[in-house]
Amino acid sequence: MSNKQILLGNEAIARGVVEAGCEVAAAYPGTPSSEILPAIAKWADDLGTRTVVEWGANEKVAFEMAAAASFTGKRSCAVMKQVGLNVAADPFMSVAHFKLKGGFLLIVADDPGPHSSQTEQDSRFFAMFAKIPCFDPATAVEAKEMVFDAYDLSERHNVITMLRPGVRVDHCRQDVELKDVIDLSRPASFEKDPNRWVCLPARVKVNHPQLNEKREAIREEFETKFSKYNYEVPARKKARLGIIAAGVSFSIVTDILRAWGADDVSVLKIGTPHPLPIRMVEDFISRHDNVVILEETYPVIEMQIPDRTKVKGRWNGWIPSAGELLPEIIEEILCKVLGKAAPEGAPDDLRKAAEELNITPRRPMLCPGCPHRASFFSIRQTLPKAIYPSDIGCYTLGVNQGMVDAVLDMGASITQASGLYMAYKADGKEQPIVASIGDSTFFHMGLPGLASAVYNKHAFVLAILDNSLTAMTGGQSHPGIGDKLRKGETGRKVDLEGAVRGCGVNWVKTTAAYDISTSRSLVKEAWEYARTHEEPAVLIFRHPCMLLRQKQAVIPVTVDPEKCIGCKFCINFFNCPGLVFDEKTKKAYIDERFCVKCGVCINVCPHGAILATEGEEA
Amino acid sequence: MQYVIVGIGGQGILFSSRVLGHIALSKGERVIGSEVHGMAQRGGSVISHFKVGDYNSPLVKANEADVLLAFDQNEAVRNMHFLKPGGHAVVNTHAPAFAENPSLTKWMSEREARLHTVMGYDMLKKEMGGRFLFLNVLILGAMCGAGVGGVTIEEVLEAVRALAPAKFVEDNVKAVNLGYEGTK
Repeated sequence: MSNKQILLGNEAIARGVVEAGCEVAAAYPGTPSSEILPAIAKWADDLGTRTVVEWGANEKVAFEMAAAASFTGKRSCAVMKQVGLNVAADPFMSVAHFKLKGGFLLIVADDPGPHSSQTEQDSRFFAMFAKIPCFDPATAVEAKEMVFDAYDLSERHNVITMLRPGVRVDHCRQDVELKDVIDLSRPASFEKDPNRWVCLPARVKVNHPQLNEKREAIREEFETKFSKYNYEVPARKKARLGIIAAGVSFSIVTDILRAWGADDVSVLKIGTPHPLPIRMVEDFISRHDNVVILEETYPVIEMQIPDRTKVKGRWNGWIPSAGELLPEIIEEILCKVLGKAAPEGAPDDLRKAAEELNITPRRPMLCPGCPHRASFFSIRQTLPKAIYPSDIGCYTLGVNQGMVDAVLDMGASITQASGLYMAYKADGKEQPIVASIGDSTFFHMGLPGLASAVYNKHAFVLAILDNSLTAMTGGQSHPGIGDKLRKGETGRKVDLEGAVRGCGVNWVKTTAAYDISTSRSLVKEAWEYARTHEEPAVLIFRHPCMLLRQKQAVIPVTVDPEKCIGCKFCINFFNCPGLVFDEKTKKAYIDERFCVKCGVCINVCPHGAILATEGEEA
Repeated sequence: MQYVIVGIGGQGILFSSRVLGHIALSKGERVIGSEVHGMAQRGGSVISHFKVGDYNSPLVKANEADVLLAFDQNEAVRNMHFLKPGGHAVVNTHAPAFAENPSLTKWMSEREARLHTVMGYDMLKKEMGGRFLFLNVLILGAMCGAGVGGVTIEEVLEAVRALAPAKFVEDNVKAVNLGYEGTK
């Protein structure tokens, strides 16, 4: 019997990691990479390996843990999303120079589109920057296969390798063959050798030329020995067009050509975009008059080609330089290049229907019952004139409540609050500032910013929205929770209040997020303290994430149409999917499809029109 | 067979493609599809692609879906362009008047696409205490009831029994049958 299962791309990659004998894996969650690490733990348990699988507090932490494990000869892996590698860039660039011992695989999930990220940067460029090999899978099946070759290559050349799946590989679902685990039986053995493990400048003079040599040796292998990832799908007739394609773009373009029945287009698939097998690519180009390059999202293959005269790519505007290469876009490019009639765009009748029916795309919103909504409401009602720098997490959706004024990256709520304070201080002015950050993001990169703000005496309020979960990415644990990744494996909980005090903050208080009246008076008190003492005050809003489905009071509510004056205050400032405005009656009403009966909105309506209908304990 | 499944984040649409995948795999067919995770799952518009057969790409191209499964009628209208000529839309409906929209009916009839509506919210409210999370299997039942999608009600029930957590199997079966009766 075939041992096939339908797996998420990320589960397939994780299966490959365990089958390949990886014994230490670490990550920080981030879409579209989040499912990989939990799946590594699951497969390791299924297959009975002793793989140690742990969340790091951030990507730099996770990367360094995995790197050091490979120093002992173990196979290890670090997993993150594309912007996570920005955080881990420092050790990544260093370790590229090392003569590693155990295979070290870096899995970086890119997000062309982007769907869930602040950039759509191309991590293959990072591989090029660090001069290390990179695999770019076209499907989940190929991604799993590449894991084995990446480890093999890593160990034969003693260099870190990157697997760069895009979101359409991470979150594709495909039938995947399962195999047994390779038993490496390799005990951890760290051999002291400062020349090898200490990144002294003097060593770089030796290591950098060695890295260059490794890269060229690997390029030569990619030219000749990796035909399962780098191959040509020849045209049956004389080719009018040659397409060089990588990643999911290869999968899309071959499906389109098959649907067309095209027999005069050949495709060169590149699965190893760096170092690029240049001879292979130049040979392909030389045999075609017209060449198109499809890759996401930056021109990584394109820029490594010495002569681009025949190439239609991003350098000459044939391929869009931003956004995901969706099937419709690739079809349009092919039609343009081949002089075919373009397929019909979004049909007018459907556009008209959507307009007539008043249909717009639904924006993401905080879940019904989400404690962040109540916290934001309390802050906004207390300090309406404040500037609200915020952070990366579910609570970025507080933008719908006018509560998110500036977001950069993980941890920047606090440092932006500092920067804003400094700018107004330069004018001698006092400006209320309330920064918001989640519990997981605080442990990720909030601590250095907070220590810096205490040290420099910056006056602002920091609201830590503690829902006891890394929620946006699907509900992972973190140091502030204590539970580890594997069920039943307990770690030690890092006390959030203690960590804040440890950074030197004097005013630290905690409030129940649902309790709007207490929260409001504490927000006021916090700002008074920060303002008068010229230092940050930290207010922790606490209530578990709705994803945890913890028991709480069930309070069904209704809107009294007599009392509702149609002012939309609740819609604009509370913004709950369960609370909707009826344009015909000009009244708010409860949409039962979404309401979770948290009862918080009762305290939101200034006219007392939202009422509890009955109360019960669930 | 190419399916596009649309809805609102939090409605549990990912389970529907798992059921379809389970059925295809049991018949020895190849499957590939694409899901949405992350921020869009927080109440925004979500779309899931699912293909059974010899495909490489996880995405369905506009004008190529055999079936559009919509958990929400507004999302159905926004994504109807995925339907191929002669394709079928199975739509969970809360305000049935939308189906009368002249622009929509014109577009559907010109390409001989069929619309099958099912009042899933009403059914779940009346029969299952308003547990709307069962929409994801109700809509599969509705697809079978309409006689489209290339799978039988028996196959759906078998797959749901295999995939649903033990304590919810009976509820899932009930919801599948509700949907089936709704469009039969």
